Amino acid sequence: MIRLEAVTKRYGEQVALHAIDLEVHRGEWLGLFGHNGSGKSTLLRLLLGLTRPTTGSLLIDGEVGSAAGWRRLRAHVGFMPERIDFYDHLTGREILAYFGRLRGVGAERVAEVLGQVGLAAAADRRLAGYSKGMRQRLNLGQALLGDPEIVIADEPVEGLDPQGVHAFFDLLHAGRVETVVMSSHRLAECCHRVDRICVLNEGEVRALGSAEELSRDLRPPVHVHVYPTAAANGSLQIALTELGASAVVRHQGAWVAEVAQAQKLAFLAGLSRCEAQIRQLHVEEPNLEELYFEHE
Amino acid sequence: MNTSEVVVAIARKEVTDRLRNRWVWTVSALLFLCTVVIALFGAAPVGVVGGKGAGAVMASLMNLVAYLVPLIALILGCGAIIDEKQRGTLDLILVYPLSPRAYFAGTFLGFALALALAVVVGLVLSGLFLVLWVGVPAIEYLILTLLALALGAAFLALSFLVSLLSRERGRAIASSVFLWIFAVFVFDLILVGILVASGGKLPATLFGALLLANPSDCFRLLCFQWLPSAAAPLGLAAVAPAGLPAWLLLAILTLWVAVPAAASYALFQYRVDRDALV
Repeated sequence: MIRLEAVTKRYGEQVALHAIDLEVHRGEWLGLFGHNGSGKSTLLRLLLGLTRPTTGSLLIDGEVGSAAGWRRLRAHVGFMPERIDFYDHLTGREILAYFGRLRGVGAERVAEVLGQVGLAAAADRRLAGYSKGMRQRLNLGQALLGDPEIVIADEPVEGLDPQGVHAFFDLLHAGRVETVVMSSHRLAECCHRVDRICVLNEGEVRALGSAEELSRDLRPPVHVHVYPTAAANGSLQIALTELGASAVVRHQGAWVAEVAQAQKLAFLAGLSRCEAQIRQLHVEEPNLEELYFEHE
Repeated sequence: MNTSEVVVAIARKEVTDRLRNRWVWTVSALLFLCTVVIALFGAAPVGVVGGKGAGAVMASLMNLVAYLVPLIALILGCGAIIDEKQRGTLDLILVYPLSPRAYFAGTFLGFALALALAVVVGLVLSGLFLVLWVGVPAIEYLILTLLALALGAAFLALSFLVSLLSRERGRAIASSVFLWIFAVFVFDLILVGILVASGGKLPATLFGALLLANPSDCFRLLCFQWLPSAAAPLGLAAVAPAGLPAWLLLAILTLWVAVPAAASYALFQYRVDRDALV
């Protein structure tokens, strides 16, 4: 649908994105993850046609992105910006009515969307009295006004509690949204809700694929937390090393053994030899967030 | 949705905003108050106090409009695009299936209507008082109000240009105040200085052309042509060369609206295309 070929974006001397090759397929949910400043928002701006590549090509349905091409695409896009300060002196209904008029959407659809995002009861209150979560829901409502096929959302779950994150994805699923491109730095919470993950760091794509593919390809080690009994002695640490742990460290009353994925089951089976010395066991599977953000 | 509907929707919101935040009523009240004070005390320099001396009152009103309306227009318009950009709504609107031209036209129209509403309400309310009590000719007052609208539109267009060139609201306000001081005070002083330095030998054509380089002076010159009761000339316009026809002055004042507005739009479109608005 939208394809970036060797796209680089510079702002003066600063390189925001470097040699990005990425295609957003129709019907997929793509998550862009990375730290602040990793290039996520710039990439979204490129996908929306708000900015142009410094070098490289951007194709819409196989054609070079033109003004007419963007206008055609935008008729089907709902955009949820990260930093938006809607008009405090207007009510939620008035704000959606205004954006609705710009899309040719009437009052009925506005009322419907207000109900969908759970703001029906607060629709006639001024925005100044809205909480952060309510503002975020209004932002989503604005994006859904035109009943879009494509939603592009910049940090849509920022500031939402886990329930709010859940509700956000439910709302997207409830509409006729087919394609979603969203950015977030909350990879652990969102990675299993999208079809593909694109991890950005310093303007470059570090990884691209489904959560399962990335976990499999990277084969990160697991951490086995072994809590010794009172009678346990130093032989337990030695046993853990002999069972194949690449490192064993003491942490909060437990021995933490780092074990390669391939050896995980054999390691756990071998622990039965030390059963008398083990009070409790906890296997900590790695998550993608750790892989990309904590170990950089 | 067609372009005209989009333009109307945006303009309507801009007007509603300024009604809701009481900007329109504040400006109207300010104009009403200043006008009434001028009606009561405007003729004091010629020894008349208390609503007498329609000619002197009209001359004072002309100067009030020449000073106040440009300032109001500049302060109103200088944050027009920047405010939307900084609050993030501009990016959102640009992603909507509408053209930057429609957005710009709607915004300018909305600001112009809000300014016009404020000026008309303020001047018409006080006009009733002036026409009925002071004896100001109704038709001349109407012409003054219409010329005030044209002057306001010219400075509003300039304020959009200032806004787009400044990139930040604080700088835009500072630049607008500077522009106002230059247009209503400094420009005339410079012209008088040139006139004096030339020993009165400055060609009338050149002097006339220099006067037209300032919308405030275009406004004053038109007032002197169309408002006979403001006979006692005040300011530089008193020494304006004869022979500048009203149609030319009106055309130039119209250009003072059209050219900065077109330049603002061109700059806006250029910056939108290059993602370089702020």
